[in-house]
Amino acid sequence: MISTVPSNYPKIANRRGGQTLRRAISSFDRGRISADDLAATADDVTVEVIAEQERAGIDIITDGQIRWQDPVTYIAGGLHGFEIGGLIRYFDTNTFYRQPEATAQIAWQEPILVRDFEFARDHAARPVKPVVTGPYTIAKLSQRGVYDSLEDLVLDTARALNHELRALAAADPALIQVDEPAIVWHRYKSDWDLFRQAMDVLMDGVGAATLLRTDFGDATGLPEFFALPFQGFGLDMVQGEENRSLVPQFPDDRDLMLGVVDARNVRMETGDGLLQVADWATQFVAPVRLSLSPNTGLEFLPRETAYDKIENMARAVKKAQEAVA
Amino acid sequence: MEGLWTTQVGSLPKPPELMKARTDFARGRLPQADFEAMERQHTRFWMEFQNDLGLDIAVDAEMYRGDMATYFAEMMDGMEISGLVRSYGNRYYRKPIAVGPLQRVKPFTLDWWQYAQSLTDKPVKGMITGPYTMAEWSYNSFYDTQEEFVLAMAQVLHEEVVALEEAGAKFIQIDEPAVSTRPEDLPLAIRAMAVVVDGISATTGTHICYGDFEAIYPKMLDIPVDVIDLEMANSDYDLLDLFARQAPFTKRLAMGVVDVHSHVIETKDQVKAGIYRGLDVVPADRLYIDPDCGLKTRTVDEAQAKLSVLVEAVGEVRQELGLENA
Repeated sequence: MISTVPSNYPKIANRRGGQTLRRAISSFDRGRISADDLAATADDVTVEVIAEQERAGIDIITDGQIRWQDPVTYIAGGLHGFEIGGLIRYFDTNTFYRQPEATAQIAWQEPILVRDFEFARDHAARPVKPVVTGPYTIAKLSQRGVYDSLEDLVLDTARALNHELRALAAADPALIQVDEPAIVWHRYKSDWDLFRQAMDVLMDGVGAATLLRTDFGDATGLPEFFALPFQGFGLDMVQGEENRSLVPQFPDDRDLMLGVVDARNVRMETGDGLLQVADWATQFVAPVRLSLSPNTGLEFLPRETAYDKIENMARAVKKAQEAVA
Repeated sequence: MEGLWTTQVGSLPKPPELMKARTDFARGRLPQADFEAMERQHTRFWMEFQNDLGLDIAVDAEMYRGDMATYFAEMMDGMEISGLVRSYGNRYYRKPIAVGPLQRVKPFTLDWWQYAQSLTDKPVKGMITGPYTMAEWSYNSFYDTQEEFVLAMAQVLHEEVVALEEAGAKFIQIDEPAVSTRPEDLPLAIRAMAVVVDGISATTGTHICYGDFEAIYPKMLDIPVDVIDLEMANSDYDLLDLFARQAPFTKRLAMGVVDVHSHVIETKDQVKAGIYRGLDVVPADRLYIDPDCGLKTRTVDEAQAKLSVLVEAVGEVRQELGLENA
């Protein structure tokens, strides 16, 4: 059993000197520093949050998505065909993203995440997983623009991101994670057939270990969810409580990432509570195939609380490992 | 016949000198008395502007508020404030945390309402953030369930609404922007609102924005207030089509006719066209006209220009319809 994190990590800390990125962005917006200066600060903060995740004891980390404004535009903005528009609420959260609009046929032009991944790997002692927001979520959260049908937009985005996944696979990460929160959002589940098609297109010929992660809902009502072409699956066990009913039928030959730590509330989990969940899950999933994680991105928390929560979780995972051994 | 009253959703822009004063005060570089004098001075500025413009129902302009949830939480017993969390781009805010039983130990807005009302003969709206939104935009470290948290918040806010009514407020708005984000929680939000407005005879309203109106309409008409205030201009009035398609809008409607997220000042004809679209769905004697949302993200000049166009457009439509407001 291992510990991991879902995606983003808070970009600023509340301690003195913890807000370098915020200041740099503000200076950049006022034309006082160059894009290169800003990128260098983002690199520094990336190194800082990598070290922080490692210090907390997390086994598989991310780069913290320090350069991302939100889960949608960093990827959409790197593809050909999307223009980034106005602010709109991100699911049921009190955070916002800039909504892309398809103004031309969507296509891949160059790697979006490969440099970020390589930079993070070069500065990490533990394995780093690149995280790609999936084509269904990007298309669904965008304005269709020149596209007449959602289906065409989703499938073109999937074809474009297939190139991205291939480019990432060539950089040889231990794992590539694809985030698709939109498919478990209650109102979007009727797109399930389209989603399945999109995942086949997305994963075609990708030679790497991959994991599909969802949050903000549960995967009930999506038939044969675990037959999708991924080696692992990530489920939100806090906001998607119903996911508990899926774990007893989890296939033996797949990995399961359980989002058990509430990343949307500051209330600290108890070690015992986490151990109980781990215990329960190992009835159905081999410990070697199991990882524990926060249920969603850590940016919904202040930096210090995020750290305390993942450190607390990593400690519980260590205990569970010892119990298994 | 009367109708088409002009009003506002709530906030107005804080001029740069007041923003700087807020920072200076927070860092201990400006004495409290000086800071509060500035807040009063800018409140007076906006009250005079609204008077000159002839807005039918004024707001206190919220010169004294930062975030719409944190402001109230800071004044309550049982709430603390978190470290910084990001809302979008480079914007961060401090989020409230419930850490104990909630209690109203002093008025939240009453003093400012009284000050604003002393500066105008027009009615000033009492204006608070609603219980569902307050809880939804906070962390909860204390209550066992979100429902308990929301209902405890409703009780605290009810006390403020009673105090506003006793002080003479004729209109009280209880904002619930978060209501449209999680449709399955609408019944809870309705119950909580019933607690807030229990026994109140002032005209009550709620402002809801963003979201997923397809999922909460027409059920949202059960929110126990007299007026529902909605943004319309920034979505090209497509909510009106929803009402026409799904079920008649049976309450009074406050309709946003200028986009608060755009620098561009609408033309009088655009605003008039919007008002006439509203009149297709709700009659004039149940229709209020206002901006989409609070104007605090605009500059002072932009806010003034948008409000001026709004009032001018309403004036012409009133004339065209022969409306005469007292």
